[in-house]
Amino acid sequence: MTLLTVLGMLVFLCTSVWLAVALDTACRGWISGQGADRADGPLRTAALWLTQQRLTTEAPDRMNALLSIAGYMALALTGLALVPLGPDTALIALPTSVVLWGACEALVVVVVFLHGWSPNAPLAMIGAYRYVAIGLPIMLLSMFVLIAAALPAQSLDLRDIVTSQADVWNLIRQPLGLPLFLLLGLSLTLRGPFDYADSADLAGGTSVEASGPDRLGWQIARLAMLTEFSAMAATVFLGGYLGPVLPGPLWIALKTLLVMTLVIGLSHLAARMPVSRMMSLIWMILLPLSFADLIWAGLVAL
Amino acid sequence: MTLTAILIVAAALFGIGLFGALSQKSFVMLMMGLELMLNGTLLATVGFWAYSLGGLPKGQLLAILIMAVMAVELAIGFALVVAVYRKRQADVIESIKTLKN
Amino acid sequence: MTKDILFYALSALAIWSGWRVFRVDSMIRATFALMVSFIAVGGIALLMSADYIGVATVFMMAVEMMVMGLFMVMFMMNPAGLNPMQMVHQYRFSIGAGIAAFVGLTVAILTTPLPDNPLPPGGDTLRDLGFELLGNSMLIFETAGVTLLATMVGAVVLSSASGRFGSAGQGSVPPGLTAGGPPAGRTAEDGKGHGGHAGHGMSMQKKPAMQAHDDHGKGH
Repeated sequence: MTLLTVLGMLVFLCTSVWLAVALDTACRGWISGQGADRADGPLRTAALWLTQQRLTTEAPDRMNALLSIAGYMALALTGLALVPLGPDTALIALPTSVVLWGACEALVVVVVFLHGWSPNAPLAMIGAYRYVAIGLPIMLLSMFVLIAAALPAQSLDLRDIVTSQADVWNLIRQPLGLPLFLLLGLSLTLRGPFDYADSADLAGGTSVEASGPDRLGWQIARLAMLTEFSAMAATVFLGGYLGPVLPGPLWIALKTLLVMTLVIGLSHLAARMPVSRMMSLIWMILLPLSFADLIWAGLVAL
Repeated sequence: MTLTAILIVAAALFGIGLFGALSQKSFVMLMMGLELMLNGTLLATVGFWAYSLGGLPKGQLLAILIMAVMAVELAIGFALVVAVYRKRQADVIESIKTLKN
Repeated sequence: MTKDILFYALSALAIWSGWRVFRVDSMIRATFALMVSFIAVGGIALLMSADYIGVATVFMMAVEMMVMGLFMVMFMMNPAGLNPMQMVHQYRFSIGAGIAAFVGLTVAILTTPLPDNPLPPGGDTLRDLGFELLGNSMLIFETAGVTLLATMVGAVVLSSASGRFGSAGQGSVPPGLTAGGPPAGRTAEDGKGHGGHAGHGMSMQKKPAMQAHDDHGKGH
């Protein structure tokens, strides 16, 4: 049974990575007005990266380069294993699973920093520094949002958080929660307005020097993290596996894809601000908003 | 997995931390030694809570306080490093012979 | 059995990575080795069914070590350890002190009759902790909170440049190498770029700012 669940999740992960790439390509074609890309474009790119020679810089930190890619992927998989698929079905069943997911978030900042640190190159290092400056406060914000979501469940267990949404979803009960949480998703997956690590203005930022299989691994890990984040957002705010008629796992899959579409749309439609302005926005507006969300949740719970 | 084994691991972490705190020249490395010592303390506290308090929640409270101590140590430590660097351009312990100024 | 194997593996990881912190050249590696040591201790705490403390250790230390890594890169002369460099003092004494601490504690542990009163099985440790923190020990918990607040204020006061000695601009001009001398560090007019490189370990981002302040100083 467990093996079957793992296999099912891996198949879903591959499908949603594929869908994410397709959506990304479609969005890019639509926004640039150049029409859709060839359908096999992403596959060709992947094959190209896989067969490309691996170029290295002078005195890179090879161990950390590999660890950062593997760690990013591992964090995505850990998070996915935390998502409950039914009243008692979660691959990692822990009474503090929300806190464990918070730990995964914090470690994402570490692995992205390592990815920028390891090639020993200036643009990658700038990307890593910028990412830490933005990634840490955004993570802080998400902690408050998650605590607010755990409040009505009176538990730090994701399974209880889902059950507590049987009557009304957290999306409605805590209207500020999901929008704030989506910002964290953009930051965790290095996308759009929160792409301070791998953005085009740094010629690719932390992955500017990554080539060959490394580059492919990093991009796949980013997409896996996107899937994982979407599944988590669906669990915490959209009632997870709860839903009529269809079986639970199908519901969580559908909701995951919905959130993923939302995140991809946001990442293409929202503009990125300079780091300093984004810092003021986070510390002076978004963080107080997350406090408001927490107070709101507390008052509703009372 | 016995209390003795846990405490010995904690003692090893404490010993390594003490070695680091005494031997490192750089302020930041010194703080890492202190953190490692606190790491050993944390492990010992959780060990005592799990094996000799019969589940008294005060043991967990002490562990939480140790974590708070770590955070305070780090924050004040970095603030002092920044202040000393501003004042004297010093980043190693040898540059500070006096606490004046 | 599985628990025992996991415990010994995690203990070995915690001690080994703790040891690596002071043996590797790269400061980033040292910082994250310390993080691995903390994560291993968090894992051991999870094995002892301290569900909250184990996981909280991981996220707190991930953030703390990230900040520490940034400070490492900012303040060390040689953060990547690309040039061999001696960064230790009183080496033998420290080794002795470390070993003495370990041996002394171990002897104490082995000779003391330790109380044997393990956790009752099936208890909800998380619920216990929650009620303890916001029940009987609320005052202690709140004291910790207020201490953290005081720490934040203290850290800002200590590290911010502006204070009773002047504005932020003045406060960040480096002091002279001799008493009352011109500010140390790079000056604007040498123009060649890496002239008086007195401020070792000064981060790349800081240099232009210092230059600007020097210009400002001459304007007066």
